[in-house]
Amino acid sequence: MTENAALDFVYGMAVSQAFVEDGCCFAARTSGLFRSEDAGITWALAPQNLNLDAGLAALAVAVSPAFRTDRMVFAGVAGGVLRSLDAGHNWEAIPLPSPPPVVTCLAVSPDIEQDGYLFAGTMEDGIFRSPDRGRSWHSWNFGLLDLRCLALAASPAFAEDETLFAATETALYRSTNGGRAWRETGLPLEASPVLSLALSPAFRADGVLFAGTDAGQFQRSRDRGRTWEVLGSSALDGSINAVLLSPEYPDRHHVLVLCDDCLWLSRDDGATWVPLEGEGISAVAAPNGLGTGAFLLAGTVGGGVAHIPLAG
Amino acid sequence: MVGLAFKRGIDALVRVIRPTLGPLPRHVALPRATSGSPEILDNGGVIARRIYELPDLDADAGAMFLRHILWQQHERDGDGTATTAVLFQAIYNGGLAYVAAGGNAMLLRRQLEDGARLLLDEMDRQVLPVEGQEAIERVALAICGDPGLANRLGEIFDIIGEYGWFEVRTGRGRDLEREYVEGVYWEGGALSWQMLADRPKARVELENPAIFVSDLEFDEPEQLAPVLRAAAEAGHKALLIVASRISDRAMGLLAANRQAGTMLILAVRRPGASLHEAVGGLDDLAHLTGGRPLVSQARPEIDVFAAEDFGRARIAWASKDHWGIVGGRGDPRGLRAHITTLRAAYGRMTDPADRKQIRARIGKLMGGSATLWLAGATDSEVNFRKDVAERTAEAVRGALIEGALPGGGVALLACRKPLAGRLAAATGVDERASLRILLSAVEQPLRTLVSNAGHEPAAVMAALDDAGPGFGLDVVSGRIVDMARAGVLDSASVQKAAVWRAVTGAALALTTDVLVHHKNPAKEFNP
Repeated sequence: MTENAALDFVYGMAVSQAFVEDGCCFAARTSGLFRSEDAGITWALAPQNLNLDAGLAALAVAVSPAFRTDRMVFAGVAGGVLRSLDAGHNWEAIPLPSPPPVVTCLAVSPDIEQDGYLFAGTMEDGIFRSPDRGRSWHSWNFGLLDLRCLALAASPAFAEDETLFAATETALYRSTNGGRAWRETGLPLEASPVLSLALSPAFRADGVLFAGTDAGQFQRSRDRGRTWEVLGSSALDGSINAVLLSPEYPDRHHVLVLCDDCLWLSRDDGATWVPLEGEGISAVAAPNGLGTGAFLLAGTVGGGVAHIPLAG
Repeated sequence: MVGLAFKRGIDALVRVIRPTLGPLPRHVALPRATSGSPEILDNGGVIARRIYELPDLDADAGAMFLRHILWQQHERDGDGTATTAVLFQAIYNGGLAYVAAGGNAMLLRRQLEDGARLLLDEMDRQVLPVEGQEAIERVALAICGDPGLANRLGEIFDIIGEYGWFEVRTGRGRDLEREYVEGVYWEGGALSWQMLADRPKARVELENPAIFVSDLEFDEPEQLAPVLRAAAEAGHKALLIVASRISDRAMGLLAANRQAGTMLILAVRRPGASLHEAVGGLDDLAHLTGGRPLVSQARPEIDVFAAEDFGRARIAWASKDHWGIVGGRGDPRGLRAHITTLRAAYGRMTDPADRKQIRARIGKLMGGSATLWLAGATDSEVNFRKDVAERTAEAVRGALIEGALPGGGVALLACRKPLAGRLAAATGVDERASLRILLSAVEQPLRTLVSNAGHEPAAVMAALDDAGPGFGLDVVSGRIVDMARAGVLDSASVQKAAVWRAVTGAALALTTDVLVHHKNPAKEFNP
């Protein structure tokens, strides 16, 4: 494992879809949004053109699913969203409607090149929706009884099913109309708060999604959130801060979770788990999947970013 | 014979309502009471309401009996009055023939009500969930027959949900416009015009205000002092005061504080027009904001008011006529439990006005509201379109709560099979009579709808028998289709209510043996 100079806390990481070729990745840190062009070996403060005060914490970062062609990157900060249309070289700060909300999570439509939809979950103000690639934002909180949003996830088939999931402090919500209205899913209320969400790449066909809770429950739904089951409850003992699925899921049942500050891998859909090397991890990205020989980019509590290889 | 007199009245009323059944209804023109231009109607409930006296007093009793049932259907469910009327007539006339031939009306009534339960069970078996804009739009289209309106209502109810707060207002131009308002708002507005006078668009907005929740009346400035003190000590920069009344002298204290620039203060009228509504509104506001409500009936001690008693919200706003909050800071778990309690109360209530009021409260608590603006060339057209929009919305709500049924009378037609099965096993003469009456009656809505659309009912019935269960006539395309798959849907709650009211109403009417007329009957326009 290699680790660069520690700066601070890493809230989130995002990688280019062409990571193997371009090595481009981003880290949302307490000290700001950082960008690397060498697969995370060296990092530089990204939004330099904005002349922001040092210390503008970035709490979330997301790249466009069509990053190879559209070069779009978004970051959530206090008061709004930072947007880059050139792979993170130049940025613009886009404020969200006042009072200034704190953006804690982002979800990008897989079809953003066509539909332009982008969603921002906030600490106190619910969910904002942008129909024009982040240029303008409006809050859409119909049906959302709890405005403290912790996680957002869009369906891989968003263009067809317009489905999104939003985790709040007290419930997990689903929208089937592109984020304009929200209804509670069947996740038992006592399971909340949900901290992390992951949808099957074949969600439209299999309806599978996973939710990691603050209480250490790893939950799975096979019917778009109507009913839930707890998986692998004995191994995971801590808050599940991130869930990643193999890009080949459900052909390969590889699932990775960040439980407290440690990574656990399951190759059987969450039935059994093995711990991975490393601790003090606060965010994770899997640039080339979860198969043998792949590696993870792990942001740490100290602010560094580590490379963690996945052994067989 | 009373029955024949009733029949004359029922037939007369159904004759004018029958043409309105189906997605291709004929309109009914009725002269207005106040002017010569006729009123063009396609709503059985309103038509029934307009007919409040037949010259034949005996027939009038039958017509008024049915009128009351149709108005109930209209008020409670928003649609299905023509179906109710047609079913009622078929059952009453069938039952009357049986009673005239020596049958026992009381025993027949009991059997008909048993049969109604069988119909409802069979309809329940056919219920399909209504989810998503497209499905809602299809249900709306079956009711209003206006694709543009159905499209808008599909979008609106997909967003606001079954309990959502929805208003129809008169707009400009020819297009249907819709507006969504986030958060909760109430009528009443700012208590003092001066608070709005220097603001653009006469609207004040406070960010992150503390909220004093009450229905108190403040005559003296000193009465407000504990509230202002608590807000100042807690360091609040903005304060929303909810109260029934604030005197000019007390308002002066608030103005002085505003001018001092230490705190933005806005005073608004407490929610609700009546005391009863006010208590409910304050309860909702308290749950939304986390504030402790001070209700005048409880004689609260304002001197002990503390900073933790304030509610909080991200935004509070007020205009001349309305005020509201966005992003209430109440406990989401408590709010959810409160909504659950209101929903349970809604389910128990029977009075339409009470149900609407509590539904409005639930809708507001769910986080937003929608307004549909529609226009027309004349006032008559605007009123007609508003009425159609409102009753379609009512039926759509029912469909969202209870699901949908295959439309075009097909769901009722499918009831023939269980009815026939029970008839084959029945031995009692009254039971067999009731089942035969119902077997004939369940065909009538479909036959009427087909006839209204310009088709030959007998030919269509034969084609449907060949096509099998679930198939019906899509009167718009003129083709025999699987109604559920084609998306031709009716609101299950409306259809079930229509069946229950028609059967139980007709069964009761059949037991009437004596009519007594008042010499000078009181006139009552309301059914």
